[in-house]
Amino acid sequence: MTIIHNRPLDDIAETAPTIAGNAFTRAFSGGSLWRLIGMLLLILILGFLTIYPLAMLLYGSLHSTPPGMAGEFNLNGYRSIMTTQNLIVLANTIGISLAKTIPSLTIAVFLAWIVARTDTPFRGTLEVLITLPFFIPPILTAMAWGMLANPQVGVINMVWRWATGATDPLVNIYSYGGVIWHMCQYSIPFLFLFMVDAFRAMDPSLEESSRMCGASRWTTFRKITLLLMLPVLTSSFMLSFIKGIETFESALFFGLPAGIKVITTDIYESINHRATPDYQYATSLSFAIMGLMFLLVIWQWWMLRGKSFQTVTGKGFRPSVMELGPWRWVTFAFCVLFFFITVVLPIGQLMLGSFFRFFGFYTYDMLTLEHYRAVFANSEFWRAVRNTMVLGLLGATATMALGAIVAYISVRTRWRGRNLIDSMAWLPWMMPGMVLGVGFLWAFAMLPGPIPIYGTIWALLLAYIALGTPVSVRVMTGAYHQLSYDLEECSRVHGATWAQTMWRIMVALAWPAFAVGWVLTFFGIMRELSASILLYSVGSETLAVVLMKLWANGNAEQVSVIGLMMMLLVIVFRWVQLSFIKSRISKL
Amino acid sequence: MTTNTSMTSFIQKWSRRFFMAAAGSLAISAAAGMPAFAQDAEWQKVIEAGKKEGTLVLYTALVGQPSTKQIAEAFTKQYGISVEVLEARASEIRERVRVEQAAGRFAADVMFTSEGQTMLYDKEDKSVDPLPATPNSQKIGDKFKLKVPMASVMTIPYGIMINTGLVKPADEPKSWKDIADPKWQGKILSDDPRAIGAGYLWFFSTYDKIGEDYVKKVASQKLVFTRDQRESQRRTARGEYSIYMPVIMTDFSDLKGLPVKFIIPEEGVPYVLYGNVMLKKAPHPNAAKLYLDFMQGPVVQKIYAGLGYGPVLPGMTEGLPADVKAISEAKLYGTTDTTRQNEMLAKSKDIFK
Repeated sequence: MTIIHNRPLDDIAETAPTIAGNAFTRAFSGGSLWRLIGMLLLILILGFLTIYPLAMLLYGSLHSTPPGMAGEFNLNGYRSIMTTQNLIVLANTIGISLAKTIPSLTIAVFLAWIVARTDTPFRGTLEVLITLPFFIPPILTAMAWGMLANPQVGVINMVWRWATGATDPLVNIYSYGGVIWHMCQYSIPFLFLFMVDAFRAMDPSLEESSRMCGASRWTTFRKITLLLMLPVLTSSFMLSFIKGIETFESALFFGLPAGIKVITTDIYESINHRATPDYQYATSLSFAIMGLMFLLVIWQWWMLRGKSFQTVTGKGFRPSVMELGPWRWVTFAFCVLFFFITVVLPIGQLMLGSFFRFFGFYTYDMLTLEHYRAVFANSEFWRAVRNTMVLGLLGATATMALGAIVAYISVRTRWRGRNLIDSMAWLPWMMPGMVLGVGFLWAFAMLPGPIPIYGTIWALLLAYIALGTPVSVRVMTGAYHQLSYDLEECSRVHGATWAQTMWRIMVALAWPAFAVGWVLTFFGIMRELSASILLYSVGSETLAVVLMKLWANGNAEQVSVIGLMMMLLVIVFRWVQLSFIKSRISKL
Repeated sequence: MTTNTSMTSFIQKWSRRFFMAAAGSLAISAAAGMPAFAQDAEWQKVIEAGKKEGTLVLYTALVGQPSTKQIAEAFTKQYGISVEVLEARASEIRERVRVEQAAGRFAADVMFTSEGQTMLYDKEDKSVDPLPATPNSQKIGDKFKLKVPMASVMTIPYGIMINTGLVKPADEPKSWKDIADPKWQGKILSDDPRAIGAGYLWFFSTYDKIGEDYVKKVASQKLVFTRDQRESQRRTARGEYSIYMPVIMTDFSDLKGLPVKFIIPEEGVPYVLYGNVMLKKAPHPNAAKLYLDFMQGPVVQKIYAGLGYGPVLPGMTEGLPADVKAISEAKLYGTTDTTRQNEMLAKSKDIFK
C-alpha cells in the first residue's frame, strides 16, 4: 500500500521544457550539452576529491614502497592480509559493528519518533540535549566512562558495592560490552540527527489512513512509518555499520586491555607501531574491507530500486504529532533516562573535573580555574579556533552544496552517470580515516609544483569536503526521496523557472535536512584529526591538532574545557536551527 | 639463543665504543689541526648567514611539550631567527618528510626525533644530511656522539610508578626484578610491549639485560595493557592499579599532589635518546646549524635537565632540586636497537600473547 511503483522519472527529467537562462540553469535543466558539461564537471570534482586520493592508496597497495620511492609492483600486500588471524579479527569486527548498529538504530528510531512524531513533553529541549555526546571528542567520553565504569574503583561500581554489599563489579567498561557501549554513545545521536527530520517531514495522513483502516498503532508504525523511512533507515544502517567496522578509539581504549582486536587496530599498528610503516599492508587491508562494504551499497540500491518513498506531497503538507495520552510520560521518562545515562553521567564527570586540578580527585583543596585560564591564555588555541571556524563554515557549506547537487541528480533525475557520482560520493566513508589521511597526503603532496594546495589551508579544506561528502549526500538523498515530483511539476506548470523551482521547492522543503547535514559536517570538521595532522602547516593548526597535543602532554582537564566549549557551541547552533524550523513550520 | 643475543649485543657495544673512540679522536685531531680563530671565523660566517635566513622550520615528533616553545623563544632571543614548529607523531611526521622530499618540496630544516627514527630516516628514506661540526657538538658526552647523523640533545628516562595508597612503603618495588614478584599479579598496568613504545622499550632493555626467563615471569603476572601514557598514570593514581610501568619519569612534576610515587629502579632507567637531524636540502641550512648547536648548548641543556630529562652536556644538573636531579642523573639502563626491531617485536608478541 505504501510502496508504490515510481512513475517513469524520465518523464520529468527528459521531457522538461527547455528553459532559457544562464549556463548553470541550462546545465541542470535539460539542455543535453550543458547537462553533459555539468555532469563532467561534477565527476571531475568528485574524482579529484575521492578517486584521486584512493588511486594513490591503490598504488600503495600494489607497490612494494609508497609513492616517491623506488620499488616494484606486486601483490604482496594482498597476499599478506590473507591470514586466518585476519579473518577472525574481521569476523570479530563485523560482530562488534552489528552489535552496536542494531541497538543504536533501534534506539535512534524510537527517539526520533518520540521527538518528531509524538506529543512528548519538552521534546524540543530533549532533541538538543540527547545529541550532545556526539559532539564531544571520543577520547574524553572514553576517559569519563573509564572513570565511571572501571571494575576496581569506577563510580558506578562503588555505588553498586555500597548499595548491595556485593564484591563483584556491576559493570566493566574494559570489555566487549564497553567497546560497544562507547560506540553506541556516538552512533545513537548521529543516527538520531540523521533521521529525525525525515520523521518530521512525513505526512501523517498516511499513518492516519492506516489507523482508520483498523491497523493497530504498532502495525502502523511498522508497516507505514518504518517502510516509508526505508531510504533513510538503510542509509543510516550502512553509514553506522561501515563506521563501526572502521572504529578505532573505542577498541583501542577499552578493547586493548581486554585483548579485543579489530581490523583498524591492526591497520594502526602496521602504520604506527612497526619499525617501518607497512603502507602496502595497511592499504591492501583497507581496500579488501572497502570491497566488502561496497556490497552493502549495492544491496541498498537493489532494495530501493523502482520504489517511491514520497511523503511530502502537494496535498497540504501538515506536520502533526501523535497524541500519546498518558503514554507520553513513558516516552518522556525514556528520553530522560537516555539523557541521564548518555549525557549527564559522562559529561557531568568532564564538567566537574574541569574545575579540579585532576580528574577524579574532588577535594576542596584541588578546586581551581587554572584549566580555564590556561585554555583562554593559549594563543595557539585561539589561532586554531579561528582556523577551524573558517574551515568549518566554508567546508560544511561547500560539502552540503556538493552533497545536495549529487543527491538531487542521483535521486531526482535519470541523467546518465548519476549512479557513478552517487558511488563516488560513498567512497571516502569506506576507507578508514587514518588510511585516507595518508591518501590525501600522497595525493596533494604529489601534485605538480605549481598547483598550490599542499602546505596550504586548501589541502585541509579539500580533504574535509571529501570526508564530509558521504554524509551530506546521504542526508540530502533521504530528504529528496521524500519530496513528491508533483511539487516540482506544479511549480514548473505555474511558470517558475528551474532555478526558482530549485530554490522554492527543492531547497526550501529540504533545508531542515540540509541544516542537520551542515551541523554534522561542521562538527565532523572540528573533530577530524587523521587527515588534519598530515596536512596542516605551520600556522594552520586546527582544533583537533591542538587537542591532540594537549592530550599527548597529559592536559586532559584542558582538553575537557575545550570539549565543553565545543558542546556549548553545538547547543547554540542547534537552538538557532530548531527555532528556525519552528518558525518556518508555523508559517506553513 | 640468549648467549647469541648477548654476544651480538657485546659485539655491537664494542664496535660502537670503538667507533666513538675513533670518531672522537678524529674530531679532536681535526679540531687541534685547525687554529681556534679559523674555527671561530667559520662559525661567525654561519651565524651571519643564519641571521640573514631569518627563519627556521622545525618538525618535531615530541608532541605537546611546552619546552619546545620555550626553547624556540630562547633561540629567537639569541639569534633573532624565528622558529616555525610543526608537531606530529613519529610515523606521521616521518611520512610527511619522506613525501615532501619525494615531491621536491623541501619545507623543513630540522627534525627533532629519536635515535631509532634517525636511523630509518638515514638508511631507508635517505632524507637527512650528514651532521655539521658545531662548537657545542664537540663538548657533549662521548656516549652521545652517534654513528647515525643525529645531534643528541637529551634522554627520556622510564621507570616505575606506584599508587602510594595501594602499595605500602615496605612493599615498594625497588628494581625491575621486583615487578616479577607474584604478589603483583593482576595489579600492574603496563604500556603495551607488543607495539613500538614505552612498553617495548622496557621489554627490549630487560630482555637483553636480565633475560628471557625474567620477561616470561612478568608476562605471567596478568599485565593489563594500555597505550595511553598519560591517562594510564591517572588511572593508577585513581586506584585502578597498584603499579604502572614503564612511566615517563619526567612526568612526576605534573602529578604532584596525587597519591603516586615515581621509582628509579636499581638497575637504571631504560631511555630514548632524542636529538636533531638536518633534513636534506634544508631551505635555511645555516639557521639549522645554529639550532643544532644551540640545542647542545648550556641554555637548552639546562632547560631539559630542569625538567628531569638526561642532558648530553656534562655538568648541567648542578643546583637542581634533589628529586629532579635524581631523575635527570639516573643511570641509563638500555635502549632499543632499530636493526633488531622486527625480531624483538615478534618475540614480544610471542611472549605477551
